[in-house]
Amino acid sequence: MIKLFIRYINLMVLTIFALLVLSFILPFLFPGDLLTNISGITPETAEQRKVLEQAFMLNENIFAQFQMYIENLLSGNWGVSSSSQISLFEEISSAFPATLELVFYALLVATFVGIPVGFLAGLRHHNLADFSVVTFSIVGYSFPVFWLALVFITLFCLQLEWLPISGRIDLLFEIEHVTGFIFIDIFLSGLEESKAAFKDAVRHAILPTLSISIVTTALFVRFTRRSIMDVMEKGYIVAAKSRGFTQWQIFRKHSFKNALVPILPILALQISTLFTNAMIVETIFSWPGIGNWLIQAIYQQDYPAIRAGMLVVALFVLTLTITIEFITRAIDTTKDETARAAV
Amino acid sequence: MPRFDLYQEEYHPSPLQNVWIEFKRSHLAVVGLIFIVIFLLITIFVPILAPYNPDLQNTNTLLLPPAWEANGTISHLFGTDALGRDVFSRLLYGARVTFGSSLTIVFVAVLMGVGVGAIAGLLSGVRSSIVNHLFDSIMSIPTLLIAIVVVAIMGTGLYNTMFAITLALIPQFIHQTRSFVKAELSKNYVLLDKLDGASSVRIFFTSIIPSMFELIVVQATIALSIAILDISALGFLSLGAQNPRIELGQILSQSLETAYVAPWLIALPGLFIFMMVLAVNIVGEGLRSALRNRFNH
Repeated sequence: MIKLFIRYINLMVLTIFALLVLSFILPFLFPGDLLTNISGITPETAEQRKVLEQAFMLNENIFAQFQMYIENLLSGNWGVSSSSQISLFEEISSAFPATLELVFYALLVATFVGIPVGFLAGLRHHNLADFSVVTFSIVGYSFPVFWLALVFITLFCLQLEWLPISGRIDLLFEIEHVTGFIFIDIFLSGLEESKAAFKDAVRHAILPTLSISIVTTALFVRFTRRSIMDVMEKGYIVAAKSRGFTQWQIFRKHSFKNALVPILPILALQISTLFTNAMIVETIFSWPGIGNWLIQAIYQQDYPAIRAGMLVVALFVLTLTITIEFITRAIDTTKDETARAAV
Repeated sequence: MPRFDLYQEEYHPSPLQNVWIEFKRSHLAVVGLIFIVIFLLITIFVPILAPYNPDLQNTNTLLLPPAWEANGTISHLFGTDALGRDVFSRLLYGARVTFGSSLTIVFVAVLMGVGVGAIAGLLSGVRSSIVNHLFDSIMSIPTLLIAIVVVAIMGTGLYNTMFAITLALIPQFIHQTRSFVKAELSKNYVLLDKLDGASSVRIFFTSIIPSMFELIVVQATIALSIAILDISALGFLSLGAQNPRIELGQILSQSLETAYVAPWLIALPGLFIFMMVLAVNIVGEGLRSALRNRFNH
């Protein structure tokens, strides 16, 4: 166990270091002036350029620059966005929680809908209900998310006018930014109309969440179904049956946990897909998240923003994935080092 | 002299034939395969199939609705867009770029992934472990992020996004190949080869590749559906294919301006992408279950 822990810590440190090096190299690869790419400020005079070069130690050797970069990162001094001149740290800390929020809702839906449905379909497989679930799941994960979002918009916003098209909450509500999670912020704000604000926020969240979670739910259904079907064929289930346990008892005591073990690593792999989908859907619904922000940064060639945004998202996803992988390995000690659950 | 036959049929299908027999039993999978063949034919023969030049602007017929609506005409099956271009022809050309580039991406990713994976599997120790961990980390970075970085460095364009998606797809092939080669190396038939004095390269090509082939094909169908979705998503975000080139996602993003008056301009390109991905997924699913059940008769 300790050995495993050390291995994963080691892996995490190495990957984070590789990411840091990569993000350090990026400004050298981006087109344009290196100084602007790093600082986000276009120097107007020779003196200003000199001061900036001094500040980022561009005349020193590469190792000193790297050390400087790491120190700046740790102290929250991430430079400014070259298009808005606002501190990147501030912009990201307001945009990233919005994305996390969206991903969290989608995961919630996928877990509480996808996994039970998958269990049901897998336990009663090869009948009509199972067949329709399988069909739904194949159709579900074939949807291009951006199209799904557009179809939802034309249907529910333009034709039926049930739900709002864009944003997180009506602009009339002045919610102070504290945590970045809109529902917690509403709760903390202590507004009189917090109930109305809450309702409005829910209405804004429905469509983006639905567009992302359909794909993820369909995948969860599929993995869970496959996994429970495999477990039900195992010897210990047959043994339990022969001892006269009911289906429910077997499911609760024997197959439920065993079916969840192989699902966990696959779910970890889905996180990156989920983030990609969330970032695409954000741009469609003008959700003020990091995906929307990064795409805007690309359009405006805002290289400092791209670098910082990429680093934050990649670090977060990697840490999450490695943690889940570690948990899986810690739970399932029989697992071979190289083996990964089959789809 | 004729051989003695106890049974009428003394014919054993090869493993590959078994797969096909099992695959045919699922009608849905065969329909999916037919769709893939249709898309392939579109990809190859689009200049012959398309009724109009996709860039030809007919200013007399702007925003014509599809043929099944009251004011549509049969000469423009799916109507025309805001510039009077025939939507059906544009969709065919768009499908060509989307499907063709996805196929290319998967082909390159399979070649690179299997190559590196085989090397990593045949080697062992530190080098192999570093390769494994490095690519595992790339695997968990969202594709869109890789694409954004590549586009930031190299600029927008179809080829640059293709490069980014290939980069994102390679790791899974490396991983699959590596674990498969590692598992296979400890089996008896490989040991037999070794005792016969075969080199590890020879073992890989004559023993491991044939048994890995199907695994790779299944993995490739998954990768193909991901590639189609990603290419069109990047086209939609206008990071991918740029204007003179026609791509399904890009058609979709261009028709956003007329979404109010012409909803079919949004529905149709998306439906094309959806059908493409669905066909690939159904075939992949059929193939997987055929591989699972092929010896169960």
